[in-house]
Amino acid sequence: MAEPAYTVASDSENTEEEKSSSTFPEIAIGIDIGTSQCSVAVWNGSQVELLKNTRNQKMMRSYVTFKDEVPSGGVSNQLSHEHELLSGAAIFNMKRLIGRVDTDPVVHASRSLPFLVQTMDIGVRPFIAALVNNVWRSTTPEEALAIFLVELRAMAGIQLKRPVRNVVLTIPVSFGRFQLTRIERACAMAGLHVLRLMPEPTAVALLYAQQQQQTAHDNMGSGSEKIGLIFNMGAGYCDVAVTATAGGVSQIRALAGTTIGGEDLLQNMMHHLLPNAETLFSTHGISEIKAIGLLRVATQDAIHKLSFQASVQIDVDLGNGSKINKVLDRQEFEEVNKKVFEKCESLIIQCLHDAKIEVEDVNDVIAVGGCSYIPKVKDLVLNVCKRQELYKGMNPLEAAVSGAALEGAVASGISDPFGNLDLLTIQVTPLAIGIRADGGKFVPIIARNTTMPARKEMTFTTVHDNQTEALIIVYEGEGQQNAEENHLLGYFKIVGIPSAPKGVPEISVCLDIDASNVLRVYASAKHRGPHQKAMPSMEVRMPTVDDGHGWCAEALHRAYGSTSDLVTVQKKI
Amino acid sequence: MSMSLLSICQFPEPKSSHVHGQCFTPSKLILRWGQRCSMIRCCKREVGKRTKTEKNYYELLGVYVDSESQQIKEAYRKLQKKYHPDVAGQKGHEYTLMLNEAYKVLMREDLRRKYDVSIGQVRRNFSKNRSGLGYSSWNGPLRSQALFVDENACIGCRDCVHHASNTFTMDEALGCARVKVQYGDDEQKIEVSIDSCPVNCIYWVESEELPVLEFLIKPQPNEGYGVFGGGWERPKNVFVAAKSFNKQQEQQATNENQHTNASHEEETPAQAEARANASKKIEMERFSRLWNWAREAIRMN
Repeated sequence: MAEPAYTVASDSENTEEEKSSSTFPEIAIGIDIGTSQCSVAVWNGSQVELLKNTRNQKMMRSYVTFKDEVPSGGVSNQLSHEHELLSGAAIFNMKRLIGRVDTDPVVHASRSLPFLVQTMDIGVRPFIAALVNNVWRSTTPEEALAIFLVELRAMAGIQLKRPVRNVVLTIPVSFGRFQLTRIERACAMAGLHVLRLMPEPTAVALLYAQQQQQTAHDNMGSGSEKIGLIFNMGAGYCDVAVTATAGGVSQIRALAGTTIGGEDLLQNMMHHLLPNAETLFSTHGISEIKAIGLLRVATQDAIHKLSFQASVQIDVDLGNGSKINKVLDRQEFEEVNKKVFEKCESLIIQCLHDAKIEVEDVNDVIAVGGCSYIPKVKDLVLNVCKRQELYKGMNPLEAAVSGAALEGAVASGISDPFGNLDLLTIQVTPLAIGIRADGGKFVPIIARNTTMPARKEMTFTTVHDNQTEALIIVYEGEGQQNAEENHLLGYFKIVGIPSAPKGVPEISVCLDIDASNVLRVYASAKHRGPHQKAMPSMEVRMPTVDDGHGWCAEALHRAYGSTSDLVTVQKKI
Repeated sequence: MSMSLLSICQFPEPKSSHVHGQCFTPSKLILRWGQRCSMIRCCKREVGKRTKTEKNYYELLGVYVDSESQQIKEAYRKLQKKYHPDVAGQKGHEYTLMLNEAYKVLMREDLRRKYDVSIGQVRRNFSKNRSGLGYSSWNGPLRSQALFVDENACIGCRDCVHHASNTFTMDEALGCARVKVQYGDDEQKIEVSIDSCPVNCIYWVESEELPVLEFLIKPQPNEGYGVFGGGWERPKNVFVAAKSFNKQQEQQATNENQHTNASHEEETPAQAEARANASKKIEMERFSRLWNWAREAIRMN
């Protein structure tokens, strides 16, 4: 069990700590919460060091068990057997569930996990529960993540002999702002302050930038620009980034990400091995959960083995009369997961296209994440990038957390006498942000892959004569046609627009994203005449909507119709 | 549609360039934004009337108007390392926004061209801007005449540096002399140094022409072919080049002002031939001069 975070240290220790914290700024630790595994790293003054738990592990399984009175997580807990994880008492894959609504296909797919995931399909948070003494006890993904983070924090505190507060967390590229607030909330529940949320491949890019800078130093060269393509595929998400790095500055050119990962490979295989798996998953009886668990362990094991051998024998007794005896080879595995691999390919192509970089101009191709061990994944990355081999200087499992630790040190204002922290990441926005205008369309104001910090302003006008109010509904996403395809971030009303024929008033909407990725929306109606009293402009920090954000837009539409709509101002020639 | 709005919100940032380096709290930021609203409006309508005291994107990034994208990139990264909020904290926010905007515009050829038109005077005033792009600084009041060394002809004899060391300097890398400070020594010393030049490559030129000449004589990187790499190139006859450069600038300015897409005046075949012959002749002359000098040098040894 973890040490309580509020352990009172002796007086002498306390004063010492205060002294040290006054002379040195606190170094933020880097945390990589993976869908299946988690790790913590910190800049120790000369290099990045991965912290180990009491069982000397660098990689800790991301799960929380609710077996005893007090829930415990995978940081300190010793699993007696892998199957304990699958008895229904453990919640895992938090990262795939957090901040998602129950209409999300990813949540639907998670119903096959060996704990309770109930979906009502009405666009609210899914109901999840762990089996404790034959009772389904409800929890939330945020809560489970927070319990896990508390343990991580305690572990890091013991290792570093100081309280840990500031963290840099890595996140998937495809996370929307709503999901980010949920991650932040989980951190806050665990008493952690999020300094930066870094998309995973950009953390890898920062590590790459540092390595390139060191090589340039060693060769006494000036360090010319290097283009790196980073492919990161873990258990839950697949991300691609293209970075241009020179002199320790990693300039992200483009990001692309989606919700596919090892979990999808696993589920596809489970369905392949047991064609009637769906019926098994839908009932959540004790024996069914045990069967799911057994199938899951056997399949996972087979996939791992296929990374190193051409075929594998699967022998599993699911206990309810169904047995699986099968020889599975790589070809079959690749055929079953063809769509997943095709999606990976298209993601790389899209990212290169967005970065406006030809594949020949890429200097290094870096593949990280657990899935980068799968031969097919390696092959497809090499194929798309037209390479013979991948970049070698990184541990695929430790790259992201090392990058996060570097960013933690840089953002905490630490400098290194040898210039090893003379680094900077210039991030881009992974998703477009805009408002609803032009009759229900999504009008992006800040486009995808815009350099951060970013500020963009656009002018809109009214659609009705003497329209004095306008609704500003802010969305995030890529759906161009219909605003509703995107994620609603918030909404507010502009009042006091001067009475005028339609198309005359000017309403300016300005979006500002700072380096810590905080989005602020400013809006105001412009007044031309000096006699009109100016209305104060609005500043809204987004996202403002919480649960049930799927309905908000609908409700707004019902209540207001098109009375408060806006259109973009056409270019005046 | 979003593109059509670009003209409205494209260049508001330099307006607020005076704020960098200050510390602001978030509340101040909000205040400032309110002010900016009205500023953006006047900004976009008076883009052409931009006052000279403002920093344009080139000044912001500290690059020349004609810089290659590689130089812009380097300058941008250097500045980012200083002002990015990760390094400088929240107070770097505004400045980084300006850097990002400037970088985005200057890195894209189409946006850059548009921006060049909007700031207009930078290139049009090129030749009048005495301190801007040339190398040499001025000692004392500006005069109508200035000294210029044709580095193509210079043989690196160091006589001028010897006679007027405050005026001339030696570029050791290129092996030729150039003017460091205009009128850095008294007139007599300067006259002596001009007379002492064995190849008569020190000229009195109109000071208006000086920046262009000094700019053009600077070797420019040449695109490379094969294993021999790029190397450096400078115009064969800098005076002719300056004349055509000025002409081109004027033409470009008028073209862009009228928003017409008229292409540059085409050379007639006769003109082209004449030009080719002239440059060949100059080349030959230079070569023989060099050859003679080398022979003499060998004989002396």
